[in-house]
Amino acid sequence: MIVSKKIVLIGHFGVGKTSLIRRFVEDTFSEGYKVTIGVHISKKTVIISEDQLISLIIWDLEGQDDIKKTRPTYLLGTNAFIYAFDLSRPVTFENLKSEIHFLKKNYPNTPLKVVGNKMDLVNKEYLKQYNSIFNCLVDYFVSAKTGSRVESLFYKLAIELI
Amino acid sequence: MLNTYIEKYRKNNFQFILIDNSGRVLETNNPILPIKLNNKLQNIHPFFEILNGLLPIKNECFEFSCTNLDFKKKIFIVDITIRTQNNNENLIIIEDLTKHYKNYQLTAQARNESIINSQILELKNEYLLEKETFKNNFIANFSHQLRNPITASIIFSDLLIDSDLNAEQKNYLDIIQSSNKDLKNRIEDILDISKIESGKLILIEKVFNLKKMLHTITAAFKFLIEKKDLVFNFEIDNNLPEYIKGDQYRLKQIITNILNNAIANTNTGFIKLKIDLNYVRAKKANICIQITDTGRGIDTDHLDSIFDRFIKIESETISNKGIGLGLAIVKYLVTEMQGNIKVESEINQGSKFICNLGFKISDYNQIKKKELLNNQLPHLDKKKHILLVEDSGLIQLTILKTLAATGQFYLNIVSKGEELVPNIINKDVDLILLSNTIQNFSAVHLASTVRNLPKKYKKTPIIVLSTKAYKEDLKRFKQNGINYVITKPFDKSKLLQILHKQLK
Ligand SMILES: Nc1nc2c(ncn2[C@@H]2O[C@H](COP(=O)(O)OP(=O)(O)OP(=O)(O)O)[C@@H](O)[C@H]2O)c(=O)[nH]1
Ligand SMILES: [Mg+2]
Repeated sequence: MIVSKKIVLIGHFGVGKTSLIRRFVEDTFSEGYKVTIGVHISKKTVIISEDQLISLIIWDLEGQDDIKKTRPTYLLGTNAFIYAFDLSRPVTFENLKSEIHFLKKNYPNTPLKVVGNKMDLVNKEYLKQYNSIFNCLVDYFVSAKTGSRVESLFYKLAIELI
Repeated sequence: MLNTYIEKYRKNNFQFILIDNSGRVLETNNPILPIKLNNKLQNIHPFFEILNGLLPIKNECFEFSCTNLDFKKKIFIVDITIRTQNNNENLIIIEDLTKHYKNYQLTAQARNESIINSQILELKNEYLLEKETFKNNFIANFSHQLRNPITASIIFSDLLIDSDLNAEQKNYLDIIQSSNKDLKNRIEDILDISKIESGKLILIEKVFNLKKMLHTITAAFKFLIEKKDLVFNFEIDNNLPEYIKGDQYRLKQIITNILNNAIANTNTGFIKLKIDLNYVRAKKANICIQITDTGRGIDTDHLDSIFDRFIKIESETISNKGIGLGLAIVKYLVTEMQGNIKVESEINQGSKFICNLGFKISDYNQIKKKELLNNQLPHLDKKKHILLVEDSGLIQLTILKTLAATGQFYLNIVSKGEELVPNIINKDVDLILLSNTIQNFSAVHLASTVRNLPKKYKKTPIIVLSTKAYKEDLKRFKQNGINYVITKPFDKSKLLQILHKQLK
């Protein structure tokens, strides 16, 4: 039997939510930026084991600089959240702590992965200066452009959801 | 009547779908999505998988606005309303607002792009600033570190000159001295540029004798220019005021930098320095400095950029004099003094720099009296005790030699900050020379320690030997009871002059 699970991607605009999904679903990437409005939904089935498939229904939300502005119906029935930010633009993770707090408070039993995207644009030295933010809050450093760790992010999440 | 019009003109942008509790389509009109009866909506688009969670909740209404549905390569942007009922008939209403939302998308696109671009610009700027600061600090620190060895080199070669040397040795020493001077000037230039860039170069205005200064300059340059087999012409307007108020050191720097540039770029012919009084108005004199050479000249393409840092025309062919900082400093100083400078030039004919500057004229008689008083080296009634606190062996030796040569001082040297106070209390001390590069102790800290000793020691002059000479530092030094600051590199006459003045 195939179970299906709803995963919601949220975060500031331009951090690469759409790109992460396209990398995962179609294995493509484009340099151009097309702003997502409202919500866009795609689906990908992941094979966990011989007799275990899972359909990920991925909701790509319009970027918001404040998570509280998100339309609440979009979040109905969510099985997991991916909160994405742009490692190269500090504004997108300045309020990481309170954004995460908001999610954890309102959706206490829903798994949440915090991912820093655009890993290809930054180096270790740069990351160091934000250690205090990144060390305790961030689960994955990924790049939609190179594909680094994207597959593993969704795959691990899928396993958690079974 | 109206109903027929409504029927005819109503936009066909609503689709109504009736489904059962499993999501199977019971009925639909088909203006938007082509949906077949008996199909499960969940299989038509992944959005509808949400129904699995919502349909069990009876008699509710859920609204999903601005939902992108891609259908056979076409995108519909729609508002979707889901009304659940308890009779196994649930209503889905889809309103097609693609056109409306596409406009909204364009606005959002423009807004987001411009916000992101400005953030990226800001970041770039920040990064550049950081780099710039790093560079300036690096340059400043590095140049400071060079000052101790150069000071020693200058003083020791000055001392050598007074000893018995044969002609060949004198010749070598000449070269050493001129290289020392060159090196010193270049370091000063680099420091000046880093001060300029960090906004720390500040003009210090005092009354000084303009004519005397010009005389010193012409005497020095006559020697330098004629050494290169060039002719030096100078014309100094007799009407120039004798005393003006301004930054003497910096004015001198303007003239010498342009002259040095002329020497470096001229191999035959002459160099001419002409200084005129433009006018006097409201006790202010406006003077014009013209420096002409018959050198290589500058082509018109480069004229605008010669005052830029590190720009040097045809750098390969130029004998390696100066590193192109001189004119950049000139430009900055002239601008700071609210003057103007321009250059006229013709390739292979020569260049002419014309600079206009204004200065307040000062009262002649008053100054004259003061100057007379100042110029006499005060007479020392007896041999004086100097306490030197310095951990650089090189500087210790330098000062020892300088003072010993005069026979007027006893010198007591300590290398550690801790030794300062015991030495003051246990021995005679008329003046304290304090290095500001002592390990673990800042000069300010040591000076204030001395000033906190019993009253007897309150008046002992303290002179700091410093590698740094920023205005903030100077102020801090004064506030902590430091009488005077000598900046490294210094030469022996400067040191002696100041010692005498402070011991008077
Ligand atoms: N260098 C680099 N650029 C990326 C990466 N991921 C996304 N981008 C670029 O970032 C821009 C924004 O990407 P999107 O995926 O549209 O961002 P979004 O989070 O969906 O933005 P909204 O839809 O406005 O919320 C695009 O120009 C992408 O090409 C990455 O990993 N590395
Ligand atoms: Mg997007």
